[in-house]
Amino acid sequence: MSPVTFRSVRDLPPMSRSTDTMLWNRTGSWRFLRPRYQDKVAPCAEGCPAAEDIARIQILLGQGDFEAAWLRIREENPLPGVCGRVCYHPCETACNRGEYDDPVTVNSLERFLADHAWKLGLSPPPPEPAAGGGRVAVVGAGPAGLTAAYFLLRLGHEVDLFDAREEPGGLLRYGIPEYRLPLDALAWEVGLILNEGVRFHGNRRLGSDLTWDELSGYDAVFLAVGTWKPAPLGAEGEEHAQDGLTLLEAIRQGETPEVSGKVAVIGGGNTAMDVARSLLRLGAEPAVYYRRRLQDMPALPEEIQEAREEGIPFQTLLAPKRIEPLPQGGFRLVLTTMEILDEDEGGRPRAVPSGHPDVEVEVDAVVTAIGAGPSQGAPAEVTGEGLVAEGLHLKRIAPEGEWAARPPVLVGGDLVNDRKAVVTAIASGKEAALVIDTRLRGRDATSIWPSIRVGRKGGVSMNRYLSGDRAAQQDHVVRYDELNTIYFRFQERRERPRITLEERRTGFDEVKMRISASLALKESERCFHCGQCDQCDNCYLFCPDVSVLRDLRAGTREINYDYCKGCGVCVVECPRNAMILEEEPR
Amino acid sequence: MRRVLEGSHAVSHAVELARVKVISAYPITPQTHIVERLAELVADGVLDARFIRVESEHSAMAAVIGAASAGARSFTASSSHGLALMHEMLHWAAGARLPVVMAEVNRAMGPGWNIWADQTDSLSQRDTGWIQLYCEDVQEVLDTILIAYKLAERVSLPAMVVLDAFFLSHTYEPVEVPEQDEVDAFLPAWEPTEILDPADPHAFNQLASPEYYMEFRYKIQQAMEDALRAHDEIDAEFGRRFGRSYGAVHRIPCREGERAPLALVTTGSVTGTARVAQAALRQKGIGVDVVKLKLFRPFPHEEIRRVLGPYDRVIVLDRNISFGSGGIFASEIRAALALRGEQPAVYPFVAGLGGRDITPQTIESVVARALGDEPPSDILWEGLKL
Repeated sequence: MSPVTFRSVRDLPPMSRSTDTMLWNRTGSWRFLRPRYQDKVAPCAEGCPAAEDIARIQILLGQGDFEAAWLRIREENPLPGVCGRVCYHPCETACNRGEYDDPVTVNSLERFLADHAWKLGLSPPPPEPAAGGGRVAVVGAGPAGLTAAYFLLRLGHEVDLFDAREEPGGLLRYGIPEYRLPLDALAWEVGLILNEGVRFHGNRRLGSDLTWDELSGYDAVFLAVGTWKPAPLGAEGEEHAQDGLTLLEAIRQGETPEVSGKVAVIGGGNTAMDVARSLLRLGAEPAVYYRRRLQDMPALPEEIQEAREEGIPFQTLLAPKRIEPLPQGGFRLVLTTMEILDEDEGGRPRAVPSGHPDVEVEVDAVVTAIGAGPSQGAPAEVTGEGLVAEGLHLKRIAPEGEWAARPPVLVGGDLVNDRKAVVTAIASGKEAALVIDTRLRGRDATSIWPSIRVGRKGGVSMNRYLSGDRAAQQDHVVRYDELNTIYFRFQERRERPRITLEERRTGFDEVKMRISASLALKESERCFHCGQCDQCDNCYLFCPDVSVLRDLRAGTREINYDYCKGCGVCVVECPRNAMILEEEPR
Repeated sequence: MRRVLEGSHAVSHAVELARVKVISAYPITPQTHIVERLAELVADGVLDARFIRVESEHSAMAAVIGAASAGARSFTASSSHGLALMHEMLHWAAGARLPVVMAEVNRAMGPGWNIWADQTDSLSQRDTGWIQLYCEDVQEVLDTILIAYKLAERVSLPAMVVLDAFFLSHTYEPVEVPEQDEVDAFLPAWEPTEILDPADPHAFNQLASPEYYMEFRYKIQQAMEDALRAHDEIDAEFGRRFGRSYGAVHRIPCREGERAPLALVTTGSVTGTARVAQAALRQKGIGVDVVKLKLFRPFPHEEIRRVLGPYDRVIVLDRNISFGSGGIFASEIRAALALRGEQPAVYPFVAGLGGRDITPQTIESVVARALGDEPPSDILWEGLKL
C-alpha cells in the first residue's frame, strides 16, 4: 500500500475525500501511551470472605445466563442458596454503588441464582478429574466442613466427612431457624456436595464415636466442629436459664419445646434474634435483654429490624445479675443497669454498671444466647495457645507432643473465626482445602497465598488457585472515584419482598420471598461491574481510529495496535475501569 | 397565490416550497420567526422534514453540514451573534462543497447590544466561501430562497440569503406565493454527486496536505466564478417561469434611456427607500440613477465595471463598516473599478448603522453632498451626531 498521488486539479475530487484506504499509514507508530484491557477487582469481591467474583457473576446474570452465573459462584462457594439467605453480605457494604445511590442487593441476587438452579433441578457438571490423591478427614459437617469436603474432592482427594449429628449441615441444619433457611433448600444444596462423592458419616462425635487413632490414618484432618457449648452467663442462679442453641436445635429437630408465656432472651447476637423470633412463632412472648445498646448488637441490622417489626421488645443496657425461682412458678430476673464507656472492648464499646438501681422483671423462662464455646469433643488445643496461624480463616494445631505424630490438623469455622458467620466458615473450608492440597503436593501454602487473594484484603480464590497464570492476576481494587459514573443513572435498590407480618408472627414460613427473574435482571442492571469488561462497547464507539476490534461471538475486545494512536479516550470513557493506559515500552 | 406575509414567514414558505429535508437552527432575534414557523410546519406534518434541535448556532450549522453530506436538502437561519458563532462551520460548509442555504437576517453586532438592521454581521462572513444574496423586499426574499437552492446545488457551494432586520423580517407585504408544482419544475430534487454512503465508504474532508490544499481552494474559486454565470441563468429562468427576476446588479435609471451624472449604489431594503428618493429628486430636477447590488459573493466585478464605469460620480451607501477602512461595499466597488484607468469619483457613505433609519431625506442629503464641493474621501459619514 502507498499514498495515492494526484497530478492535477482535474484529478482531484471537489473536496478532500479519500479515494483509497489509509491502511498503509500505521498510525500505531505514533503512540507513546498504550491502552490495554485489564480486568480489576471489584470491591464486592474483595469484601466477600468467600472471594466470589461478584461483578463477573452479575455480568452473567445480566446476560440472562443464570446457570453460568450460579456455577461461577460455585467456583468459590458451594453454598450460594444458604449464603443468599443468611449471609451478612459484606459485599454490599463494600459496593461502590453505595456511594452513588444504594448498594446492589447482591445477597438477594445470589439467592435468586441458587433458587433458579434448584427450581429447574440443575446440577453442576461433574468435577474434572484432578491429581490429588490424598485421603482427608473432615470433622464437622457445617458450612466449613461441607466447603472443605467440596473443594478437596474437586482437587482430587478422597474425603470422609464426619459429624456428631445424624444429618450434615451443622448450624445450618440444627441452629438457624426454618423461617430464615428452609430445610428443603438446605438439603438440596448439601445434596449437591455429597452427590459428588463425599462420604458422609453421621452420628460420629469426635472423642466418643470418632477417635484420633482413626483420624491418624488420614493424610490430613480438617476440624470444624463449631461452638455449640453454652457459655456461662455469669449470673447467680444461671442454672435456671435454658440454652438458646439447644432450644433452636430442638425446634429444628421437629420438637415443640415447652416454652410459653413471658420469656427473657439474653443476648444481642444473631442467635438471640433467632431464639426470640422462634419463640414468638411458638406463641410465647419473648423480650430481648442486652447489656449494651441497640447499635452495639452483633446481630445483623436486618435481623434486629425484622425482630422489632414482629413486635419483640428490646431492653438495652441491662445485664443479668440473678435469676430467682418464684414460689408460684416462673422467675424473677434481676438486671444490673449498665452504661457505655468510650473504651473499646473486643471491638465493641465497654459496658460497665451505671450505679443506677437494678431492674427486676418476672418471667416464665430465661433463655441465654450470649455466645458459646468449642463443641463437645473438640481437643483442648483449639481454645488457645495450641494453635498456629495457617490462613486468613484457618489455624492448625501446633505439631507438638502427641500432635507431632498425627497428620496435620487444620482448624476452621467458628472454632477460630473472629467473625463467626456462615461465609467466614465457608472461607475456612476453602482455605483448608487449599492448604491441604498444597501440602499434599509437597508445596508451601504460604508462598502462593498472596497470588490467590482477591485484592489486598480479600479472601482467597479457588479460581485463581486453579488457573495457572497467577502473575496475570492483579490486586487493584476499583474505587468509586475511578469509575466514569456519567454512564450510570440513578435507580432505586429493589429489596426482596417479604411475607406479611401476620404470617411471620404465627409460622415458620420463610420470611424473605423469592424474587422473579425480571426483578433480578432489573436489580442486576444496577451493578457497575467495577473493573470488569461487560462489553458495553464504549471503547468501540469512542475510538477515533477504529482500533477496537470486537469478536462478538467470543465476547472479547482487542486493541489494534497497528493503528491505535494511544489517545486514551477508550480508557477514559470506560465506565467501569476495565482498561488501563500504560507508557509504551521503548 | 397572493398572500400578505411577514418577511420571516416568506422565508419559511419558500423553504417549504423547496421541499427541504433537514432544518436545524437556534433562535435569535430577529430570525426566530423563520424557524418558529418551520418548526410548526414540521410538527404539523405539513413539511416532511427533520427539525433538529440544537444548543447553539455552531451545532445548527454542523447539523445541516451533516445532513447535506448525506444528500439532504438542508436549511438554517441565523443573525448577528448567532452567525458569528457559526463562523468556523461556515468555512466548513463551503470547503466541503455543501449547498446549504441559510436565511441571514442582517442585525448589528454588539456591544452595545443592538438587535436592529446592520450589514456588518453578514459582511464579516465575506471570506467563508458562501454565496451572498441581498434582498430588497419580501417578495424578493421568497424568490431568492428558491433561486439560492438552485444556484447552490448547481455549483456545490452554500448560499446565504440576506434580509434586513425588521424592515424585511418583521414587515408584512403582499407576496405572490408560487404554486408547488411550479416550484418543483424550477427546483427539482437535489442530486448530489459526493455523498456519504455506507455502501461506498470514504473519509470526507480529511487532511489536505500543502501538495493539494491550494488546488482545492482553486476549485472553490472556480465554483464561485461559475456561480456568477449560473446566477444570471437561474435568475433569468426564474423570470421566465414566475415573471420576476432581479439581476446580480440592477440599474434603475432616473429616466428611461438616459444616464444621470450620478449613480447611487444600494443594497437591501434601502433600495426601496432610494426609489422613493429618486422620484422626489427628479421632481426637484436632480437626476440620480439607483444601482441595486444583489449578489455580493461571488462579486460581479465585470458587471460593476460595465454599469458604474461610465458615471462621473458614484455614491455607495453602506449600512456597515470595516473598522479602519470604511464601508465594505464601497471598498469592493472601488477595487473593481480600479482595474480600468478612467474611473468615476466614488463617495463612500456610511449611514444607518445599528438600525438608524435611512430615510429619503438621508438619501437626498448624500446626493447633495456628492454633487457639491465635498471632495471624495476614503470614508464619509452621514447622519452622524458630531
